[in-house]
Amino acid sequence: MLDFLKRIFADSSSRKQANDRLRVVLTHDRTGTSSRLMETLKEEILEVISRHVEIEGRPEVKIIREGRHSALDINIPLKGR
Amino acid sequence: MGKKTEESSVIVVTSGKGGVGKTTTVANVASALARKGYKIAVMDLDIGLKKLDLILGLENRVIYDIIQVIEGECTLKQALVKDKRFPELYMLPAAQTRNKDDIKPEQVQEICRQLRPEFDFIFIDCPAGIEQGFRNAIAAADKAIVVTNPEVSAVRDADRIIGMLESAQFQDIQLVINRLQASMVKSGDMLSIDDLLEHLCITLLGIVPEDKKVLISTNKGEPIVLNERSEAGLAFNNIANRLLGQQVDFPSFEEDSLWGKIRNLGRNLFSKE
Ligand SMILES: Nc1ncnc2c1ncn2[C@@H]1O[C@H](COP(=O)(O)OP(=O)(O)OP(=O)(O)O)[C@@H](O)[C@H]1O
Ligand SMILES: [Mg+2]
Repeated sequence: MLDFLKRIFADSSSRKQANDRLRVVLTHDRTGTSSRLMETLKEEILEVISRHVEIEGRPEVKIIREGRHSALDINIPLKGR
Repeated sequence: MGKKTEESSVIVVTSGKGGVGKTTTVANVASALARKGYKIAVMDLDIGLKKLDLILGLENRVIYDIIQVIEGECTLKQALVKDKRFPELYMLPAAQTRNKDDIKPEQVQEICRQLRPEFDFIFIDCPAGIEQGFRNAIAAADKAIVVTNPEVSAVRDADRIIGMLESAQFQDIQLVINRLQASMVKSGDMLSIDDLLEHLCITLLGIVPEDKKVLISTNKGEPIVLNERSEAGLAFNNIANRLLGQQVDFPSFEEDSLWGKIRNLGRNLFSKE
């Protein structure tokens, strides 16, 4: 039932697609980055960190927008002992 | 008649992307203000591809152009074309047979310095692009109006232009959204005003709907603000009033149908990021 509701209400409009694409492209334009660069950045950051501590779960490296400013948001869960 | 305000404003109208409505905006907002009795100069800096004279219907009155002023072939006063409908509106034509690199930012600044004591508002019609023509157009301006359309490529270019204006230390940058089609926004096929404001994060100055009467008035060389029954004309008039500091409400284009409301509620509840 919930799945059914989700499906009929899911926003697949071209307006939503335009917004999603703009969000990515403007972030990259403003910061001079690309999806490819973000992947490389993530790999290298994880490599450095895992040299010292053990990482667990799903680490995230992404750019977040606050108004016209952007910041690198790094979330790396660490394994407890 | 003399000017009304003590401080004059020099406003550049720019966009990055071509064809979004810069010249239409300059012609109409300037005409609306001139009709209210403000002394207005419009400067066409689209050297080599001039259009402002045509949109204002003044093409047959042009004698000199801005390059001839700069090169000393005529005075600034001689080059200013007086509008036929509004005695307070003057246009400084672009040169058609030269290009953007034939003028420098300092020369535009000098012309504006001479215009300021005579005019309340000086509007600069900026060419598309981010090169020399853009740099010339912003050099003398204290405010910027960025025109965009609710369409991904126009928004991307607007964002680039806003970034460049911020780097050039502009404090006052306002957005005009042109060619909005409320019905398409409602059916989910056009970016909405809120969408554009979320992406671009600047103050909204005006919303101009798509309006067939714009083309008709361009054909005739008559500003659409003269047409009381046109929606676009009304929108340009509102922009003029806001530039004068008046509080003019924005029309609401919210989803008003019952299904629209239910759908929105559903989307908020069920849509995943
Ligand atoms: N609100 C509107 N509704 C319908 N048509 C419009 C509207 N605004 C502008 N247009 C049309 O869009 C076209 C481009 O407008 P305009 O010349 O003002 O754009 P521009 O940004 O100055 O272009 P350029 O970059 O070439 O200088 C014109 O044909 C004009 O009639
Ligand atoms: Mg133009």
